[in-house]
Amino acid sequence: MEFLDNILVKPFADMAAAPDFLLQVLWEGLVGGVLYALIALGFVLIYKSSRIFNFAQGIMVVFAALTLVGLHEKGLPAFIALPLTLVVMLVLAITIERVVLRPLVNQPDIILFMATIGITLFLIGFGELIFGGENKVMITKELMIPTDSFVFEPFGGFVSIEQKDLTAVIGAMLLVAGLLVFLNKSKIGRAIRALGDDHQAALSVGISLSTIWVIVWFIAGVIALATGIVWGARAGVSFALEVIAFKALPVLMLGGLESVMGAIIGGLAIGILEKVFEIYWGQPLLGGNTEAWFAYMLALLVLLFRPQGLFGEKIIERV
Amino acid sequence: MKTLLKTAILSSALVLGAGFSEPAAAQDDSIYIPNLSYRTGPFAATGTPLMNGQRDYITLLNERDGGLNGVKLVYDECETGYNTEKGVECYEKTKANAVVTQPWSTGITLQVLPKSNVDEIPILAPGYGFSPMADGKVFQWAFNPPSSYWDGASMILRNISDGNLDNLKDKKIALLHLDHPYGKEPIPLLEALAAKHGFTLLPIPVGLTEMQNQSAQWLQIRRERPDFVLMWGWGAMNAGALTEAVKTKYPMDQFVGIWWSGHDGDLKLVGEDGKGYRSVSWSVPNSESPLMQDIKKYVVDTGKSLINQGEGEFDWVFYQRGLMISAILVEGINAAQEQFDVKSPNPEQLRWGLENLNLDEARIQALGAEGMLVPFNTSCADHTGHGGGWMLQWDGAKFVKASELLTPDRAAIEPLEDKEAQEYASANAPWPINEECKM
Repeated sequence: MEFLDNILVKPFADMAAAPDFLLQVLWEGLVGGVLYALIALGFVLIYKSSRIFNFAQGIMVVFAALTLVGLHEKGLPAFIALPLTLVVMLVLAITIERVVLRPLVNQPDIILFMATIGITLFLIGFGELIFGGENKVMITKELMIPTDSFVFEPFGGFVSIEQKDLTAVIGAMLLVAGLLVFLNKSKIGRAIRALGDDHQAALSVGISLSTIWVIVWFIAGVIALATGIVWGARAGVSFALEVIAFKALPVLMLGGLESVMGAIIGGLAIGILEKVFEIYWGQPLLGGNTEAWFAYMLALLVLLFRPQGLFGEKIIERV
Repeated sequence: MKTLLKTAILSSALVLGAGFSEPAAAQDDSIYIPNLSYRTGPFAATGTPLMNGQRDYITLLNERDGGLNGVKLVYDECETGYNTEKGVECYEKTKANAVVTQPWSTGITLQVLPKSNVDEIPILAPGYGFSPMADGKVFQWAFNPPSSYWDGASMILRNISDGNLDNLKDKKIALLHLDHPYGKEPIPLLEALAAKHGFTLLPIPVGLTEMQNQSAQWLQIRRERPDFVLMWGWGAMNAGALTEAVKTKYPMDQFVGIWWSGHDGDLKLVGEDGKGYRSVSWSVPNSESPLMQDIKKYVVDTGKSLINQGEGEFDWVFYQRGLMISAILVEGINAAQEQFDVKSPNPEQLRWGLENLNLDEARIQALGAEGMLVPFNTSCADHTGHGGGWMLQWDGAKFVKASELLTPDRAAIEPLEDKEAQEYASANAPWPINEECKM
């Protein structure tokens, strides 16, 4: 009976007893969710246009953030280092298309996936050589990201909202909105979607595969840079940032690999639910650290009923 | 662009070269010292300065003295990325010629520990590994001087309780730890002391993917309001915890880390906001010491060091601790050379050397490292030395010594050490015991 009470009653009683704390938990979950969604978006964009699961997305986050901080360390002001980093990400996209993807056109998906593992290993070694392995401080203030916090006092308690987290949420929302407009309204966006729907048909109407791949990898690089700035502002820039890419995997399983909306909703859902579960069930009943597996369990449950994910396309192949 | 291209080609060549090369062979005129290092991956930021320190001490001896007593020291790194499986691969790859194993992770140490009895190569894990390794009769081939994790936990508790653990009665102490064998290492001792002295222990694990987003852990700290937070963090976890502590406005003077959670690079992320944070340490940086001046003259200024001078790595706690770790090893080799009258001691002879370390204040001063290392000595029964340590405190820009020498409560630790060592030996029977040691 006590067991059931701990699962079904006590967590909700705790929520009601300290609503300010619940608000804080929801806010932290929302921030985490937005960040997961950002990483997942990088995966989705590349998968949509090329059917490649880009294993290198995590290291691209590290590489972009290290480039930004590294250029600033060389004496460049932030407003020059930022566009220069974008140029570096464009060069990276062109190089990947020329050196890795173009020679592998028409190869099985698994070959392309393995190629992205190769890109990951190269970027790890190259990044270490150029930037070293030390933890670097993100140039938060130089990028004019506010670092104070707002403190509210609802229900007699307090909720603290970091301005840099708020900036991250607003920035991510603007980025996603811009991306949706770009994908749905622009000619290039439509070409990316066309390639995602049917490679052969898209090529037959004159869409350039190589150009689109460069654009998509560049956009993934921009998203990686945004992710790197946001995560780097929280705990520094180091190769440890690569690990956070693993948090995007359950988001993709939940939302579906092809859906931009799936990445966003999947990210937000996992961010909020894993935080609430950890605080009210995981820590009191299971000793904590349930965030390491909760998202995967949730994704597995969804896959039992919708193997294509919540927003993925149901593929029916005729044989 | 040309430089970049050259760098890329050079790096590729180096990577390929490293992949195909065999470990350096032991020769009579050299001693092969492998190091299972990690300069890549999520823990690279904390691993790199330590490895740089270890490497530079050996370079100094080779450059300044022509080696150790006329024998060249061959330092060789095998990259593990702090990954246990890769660590075991590195052990197997380097053991043929190795005089010592430096596993550099509690997880790897635990994997290599049973192999040490078979391969008969000493494991040197200064300030890390399995705390009961202190029992030299049971763990004949393993050494963790000058202080174990349990020593560290005891010293922290003594410090925060003003020397009397009964003062902690009814207090709540959170242990924020990496969810890894290293992070869990102090739990048995802390649980025993919590039961004895009446404080509440609250272990809070941090997973690998949560190291940089510890909001859930710090929400728990906000809810539970512990009187002190102890940290057994590593790599990106340290920086993640410090930024969350600042965000949560947890009092920094109630936040204390073990020696691996006191890295200048991590604290620089929070700067002034981290003022007051403390970390217990068995080494203290002293950039003005004769040893450091020699390092500067023979290694750094000649371009033979890999340190990042722009970041001020020369003055960091971790870089200088890396130097001390190699100094401990070299003292063991030196003792073996003298005892057995050989130029290149074999692993068994080095084991004797590590069992007869006598790094007292005079010897540390003779090495030019005055005040940089806690004095200690080992024996066949005591493979740790239990030298103790000092509390270092972050002043907003650097770590400064903030206490007199702290010593662990050996009376409280020893029974648990004996029990755990015996349990380990029984669980891994037949486990050889050193019957020759009569201490």
